[in-house]
Amino acid sequence: MNVNDSLSICSRAAGRCGDHGVLSQAHQRAPHRLVRARESRSRASAPRAHSCPVPPPAPWPAARAMSAFKRRTTEKQLSLPAGTRTSPGSPATTITSTGIPSLDDILGGGLPLSCSLLVLAPDTHTAYGELVIKYAAAQGLASGQRVCVVGTRAEAFLSECMWVPGSTTQTHAASSAGTSTLAEDADDEQASEHDTKIKIAWRYEQMRQFQTTVPAFKQKCARSPDDYCRTFDLTSRMPEEVIKASRDEGRLVAVDLEEEGAVNSGRSSCIAVIRRLSEILARTDSEDPLLATRVCIPALGSYEWGDLSPHDICYFLLSLRALIRRHPRSCASVCLPPDLCQEAYGGPGWVQKLGWLTDAAITLAAFSSNPSLVAMFSSHHGLVHIHILPSPHTLLPPSDKYSTLRGLSSSGENNLAFKCMRKRLIFETLHLDVEGGISERRTTPSATAGPLDFGDGHAHHHGHEPSTAAPSSAIAAVQVQLEQAQITAVSQPTAITPPAEQPRSSFKKAKVKKKVVFTSERPDLYDF
Amino acid sequence: MFPPNNLPLPAETLLVTDELYAPADFILHRHLVSSLKGASSSKCVLVTVSGDVGRWKSVIQRSNVKVAQYMESGVLTFLDAMPHIVSAMDGGSDKPLMNLLEELKRLLNVSLAEVRSSVILDDIASLQWMGIPAPDLVRFTRALSALCRKNNISLVIRHHVTTPGEPDDVLKHLLQLCTYHLDVFPLSSGRSGAVSGQIALHCGPGTAKPVHRLIPRSAAIQYRLTDVGSVFFDRGTGSGVL
Repeated sequence: MNVNDSLSICSRAAGRCGDHGVLSQAHQRAPHRLVRARESRSRASAPRAHSCPVPPPAPWPAARAMSAFKRRTTEKQLSLPAGTRTSPGSPATTITSTGIPSLDDILGGGLPLSCSLLVLAPDTHTAYGELVIKYAAAQGLASGQRVCVVGTRAEAFLSECMWVPGSTTQTHAASSAGTSTLAEDADDEQASEHDTKIKIAWRYEQMRQFQTTVPAFKQKCARSPDDYCRTFDLTSRMPEEVIKASRDEGRLVAVDLEEEGAVNSGRSSCIAVIRRLSEILARTDSEDPLLATRVCIPALGSYEWGDLSPHDICYFLLSLRALIRRHPRSCASVCLPPDLCQEAYGGPGWVQKLGWLTDAAITLAAFSSNPSLVAMFSSHHGLVHIHILPSPHTLLPPSDKYSTLRGLSSSGENNLAFKCMRKRLIFETLHLDVEGGISERRTTPSATAGPLDFGDGHAHHHGHEPSTAAPSSAIAAVQVQLEQAQITAVSQPTAITPPAEQPRSSFKKAKVKKKVVFTSERPDLYDF
Repeated sequence: MFPPNNLPLPAETLLVTDELYAPADFILHRHLVSSLKGASSSKCVLVTVSGDVGRWKSVIQRSNVKVAQYMESGVLTFLDAMPHIVSAMDGGSDKPLMNLLEELKRLLNVSLAEVRSSVILDDIASLQWMGIPAPDLVRFTRALSALCRKNNISLVIRHHVTTPGEPDDVLKHLLQLCTYHLDVFPLSSGRSGAVSGQIALHCGPGTAKPVHRLIPRSAAIQYRLTDVGSVFFDRGTGSGVL
């Protein structure tokens, strides 16, 4: 037993894990244990040719007995399809990336194979749901999986998809890509905000903003971390040669609805698409057992499908899920067009029905049609509602324990929102403002605030002592909902004083405030 | 002890309703495990619409149930309902559930009298959403419950409620049909990390004297899901259990 042997064994063990930082620690710890392990191995029956007496170094240095057992994880990793890995929550599940690291985190690491993801985007003015499907298709092509796009203009859809910027991402580690995108995000934030001149102490000026989302996945494994989730850039489009190459290799399959002759009725188009998908999946299973297939449906129920009734949509989703289950190396990402996400189309409880019929369902409720929400959450573009999360082999979805964004393990569920920046789409936690709003603590006036109208409060001022507890809640009642402010004002005629004049005494430096809707000059508000 | 182990006795029908934010999978898993482990000779038929056989197997295995062994011996049978229904619907049949009923009859005919059998029908609501007319579903459930009552088989039917407080036609008929109704619903204050939901137990209209202690919705028992199963506790006593 000499040092060279121990070094080679350690390097082989660490090489499997790919984490060279642990090598030195393991090497320092291991040599004497190596001696014991090799002695016990020589005492045992004839050693196997490929066994290594040292297991991969443990991540924590506490007293873990080094045993002579051979770990079988490496073989399983090699037998996984490209672009997939095992789920941290359940070893029986294989997950694949959706192309968006923060969405992967919400799903518990990624979308499990044999599961379907449904993205609802009920806002008619934006196409965030289709953007998520584009990410899924781009990720599938980038990681070497087979992508099956269902729609009439699949090539046009793919040419609009995003792609990795340049060709240098192969050499970057995920951590550096994460920090560089964070810096770009900071630049984007500064460029997009109107009123950012908050004076902060000089020593904190260089600090990064509070991190509200997760960086790209860092994987301690021999495989390159880029294999799992590529860093896509919304400013670069998928090159034509990539589409052509994928089509020639057979990794890109388009299911064209017109070719299937499926415009007679809604149900027949669903049946035709399911039949074609089952042919494709059966062919994939027989040809290449290590190829994962992604089914991407950018607009289920758009005009190309014919007139789909809610029953047809449910039938399609059920059949699609059953089909995906039968072919365990496939997954599906589906988006519904905005008019099909509404309860006006599907009836009461429509969104819940959709949640029951798929494995993972989220709603991206964009703000663009609601100006008050845009004003309230100016740094986000919409809310994220999670209806159901995938749990293909466990009772509880792994996302409950492993999702950083959802925060279930810490205190409670976080509110989630998304924003589409110049280069990427990210999901992040949404924190509601402190009661009273940020404007209460500003030292420079906000651009949108106007002087508060105090004239109406004077008549009621004398003879009443305002309580200190009331102002903050009264102000919050007025500020939170612009449309309901008048309603709360109407319901307050039994309150003793109008709340407008109270903050003058409580807050010292708030000279300029947002305009309050409540006034007493209009007598129609109180009719008593 | 909740839920009672012998909840659907032979020839009884248990209706389990749940909502999207409080799914009742764990109730069905529990029932299946207890019926497999309980009597020395028993037979279980699980009819799934969603085809989640892999999930059932992996969750049940965590309760130390040898699924492969039971499946080989015919004690446990998984029946996927979708191929039977889809073939009937695509063929334009006006009785799309007939095939499924025939298949169930065939599976249950081989059971002997002293064998304690149970049938779990996972998810009748999806069949309704798919477009099968409500009268067909009502007739199917009536025929199935009559079949089970004749052969002394306990039946569990699961129904998803999407409009709480406004039962649809199928649910109204199921409520009339069942012996007991196990109602799983989420907390009214939204999602919580500590409590996964609440359960109430009602008796059906045809049950004169309920054997089990009934639990109204106002005093519902709360539960929390864990990796292997569920923990039940009364409202307000969670800190002693969790």
